[in-house]
Amino acid sequence: MSDTKKIIKGCLAGNRRDQELLYRRHAAKLYAVCLQYSGNDEEARDILQEGFIKIFENLGHYKHEGSFEGWMRRITVNTALEKFRSRHNLYRVDDIDTIKEPDAEPDNHDYAGLEANDLLTIIRELPSKYRMVFNLYALEGYSHKEISKMVNISEGTSKSNLSRARVILQRRVGSYTGIKKKVVNE
Amino acid sequence: MNEKEANIDLLFRNGLKDFEVIPPPGVWDGIHSAIKIKSRQFIYLRTAAVITVLLALSFLTYRWSRQISVVQPASEISLNVPDYSPVFSKQGNRQQITAEKKSAPVKNNPGILAETFPTTDNAMEGEVSASTDQILKIQETKDLNLTKNDFIRRPKPFPVITPERNSYNSKYSELQYLPENIAVKPQKRWSIAAMASPTYYSNFNTGNDAFSKQLSSAEQPLMSYSGGLAFSYKISKRFSIQSGLYYSSLGQKVDGITSFDGFQKYETSKGGPNFEVLTTNGTIYTSNPNVFLASVGSDRVVTTYTKDVFDPKKASLQPISNSLDQNFSYLELPLIVRYKIVDKAIGINLIGGVSYNFLVNNSVYTTSEDGTRYSIGKTDGLNPLTLSSSLGMGMEYNFTGKLSLNLEPTFRYYLNPFSSTSGSYIHPYSFGIFSGISYKF
Repeated sequence: MSDTKKIIKGCLAGNRRDQELLYRRHAAKLYAVCLQYSGNDEEARDILQEGFIKIFENLGHYKHEGSFEGWMRRITVNTALEKFRSRHNLYRVDDIDTIKEPDAEPDNHDYAGLEANDLLTIIRELPSKYRMVFNLYALEGYSHKEISKMVNISEGTSKSNLSRARVILQRRVGSYTGIKKKVVNE
Repeated sequence: MNEKEANIDLLFRNGLKDFEVIPPPGVWDGIHSAIKIKSRQFIYLRTAAVITVLLALSFLTYRWSRQISVVQPASEISLNVPDYSPVFSKQGNRQQITAEKKSAPVKNNPGILAETFPTTDNAMEGEVSASTDQILKIQETKDLNLTKNDFIRRPKPFPVITPERNSYNSKYSELQYLPENIAVKPQKRWSIAAMASPTYYSNFNTGNDAFSKQLSSAEQPLMSYSGGLAFSYKISKRFSIQSGLYYSSLGQKVDGITSFDGFQKYETSKGGPNFEVLTTNGTIYTSNPNVFLASVGSDRVVTTYTKDVFDPKKASLQPISNSLDQNFSYLELPLIVRYKIVDKAIGINLIGGVSYNFLVNNSVYTTSEDGTRYSIGKTDGLNPLTLSSSLGMGMEYNFTGKLSLNLEPTFRYYLNPFSSTSGSYIHPYSFGIFSGISYKF
């Protein structure tokens, strides 16, 4: 029996040591995911906590098929999505469809020197609607059709949000690398 | 454009892949308290379900056994039906009683004045039978002038045979002729027993983890005991079912842990456990701030107060002991089936069944040489409900009709582990010789 299986079995038996072990092993990676999906630390912390509670509650349903880490990540992303939907459930955000897409600047930036911390900071500066679509599309690999159902927007809005997110990210990445180079040269 | 856009996607996807950020402290506490409440709710539900099932089973068994006891007399009669029915025949002045096959059409046989007796009596389906002597007596009352010498063949006992029985009273009056050894006595089906036993407790470690084996090597079973009240119901001559309520206490001694008294003035972590002690039954979290623990020859004590941080000898702490005692107490709800192998003055039973065990006490303590007991804390992660199976051989000496002495060597194996620390799954077992007294009613 693999180590992960043993820990899962222990968690299912209600063993606190195994539960804590599972948390300590995966919390850091999942917290990084939570930060990518949230604009502030408090929200990220809530997503992590609620996500882990769901993970423990649903451990019995995990079939040991595919990556356990991927399974936990999906639960965490879904928790972030639920939080997002609860904040934006008052209206359907299709009005953005009517806004003309901005022209993207040529992607001729040199991204060298950017670290994961910088990327996280940049992505968290995005407006939440753009950040959610960009994360789901670019990082999780969902299609616009899937995203439209998950976020309760039209496919057009999903494409538009992605496009806007990319433009903003390109600009921010550009300015970040410029600043970094300046600092290094000085 | 799309390619360039995809570049920014790749930049973030690859850049954030495997990225880790340590979460703020306190998140785990929130998660743990939430899942603990939910698991407790689940345990209550499961316990309620188990009790409901047991009650339902007991009720159904009771109903079933009632139905059996109603049907049983009729079946006893059918068992007593003889193969032969007596035939009274007159030949001249002499009367003969012969036994003919029931199927033989004696009545219709011309030349023989025959009187066939019924083998069953619809008016009274009691456990009544009579020997040939009774037949004689009955016939004498009918002035048939029969003597014992008139018998050609003596049939075996058969049901009461009086053709002129028309009322219950007349039939009942004939019961006085029945031999005493077939008188029906009301069966005592219920019994209550008080049993107790010292038990030897140990465990099977089904894990293959080297660390858990190292842990178990320094653990010794403590002398345990078990006792309680048992109710049993006899569902047939040989089978009976038993339930009741038992209390059992078991535990183990963990060697290689030195304890000291007087630590409270040095400890700085207010509230939380100062020490964690790893055992095969789970982790002990200390709750007594006055006790300092250190492991000898192993790393089973986890603490921030390591040797380089705090030395109990330099602080002149008072040594208590070199071991800890883990104690677990359970309330047990057994469901046992007994099969009587020998049904004599000394009866022998085969006993087997399961028992639901509810954890009611979980304590860890250490005892100084002068006998002072210091509470340490609790073992974490113990299953609050365990299921055990038991197999035993019971000896019963009936010294009166109602009271009997019982002696029952019993082996018990816990089907689910006490706790499941990673890498080790401890299935305890115990052996005890239960003795006690039982009363039948």
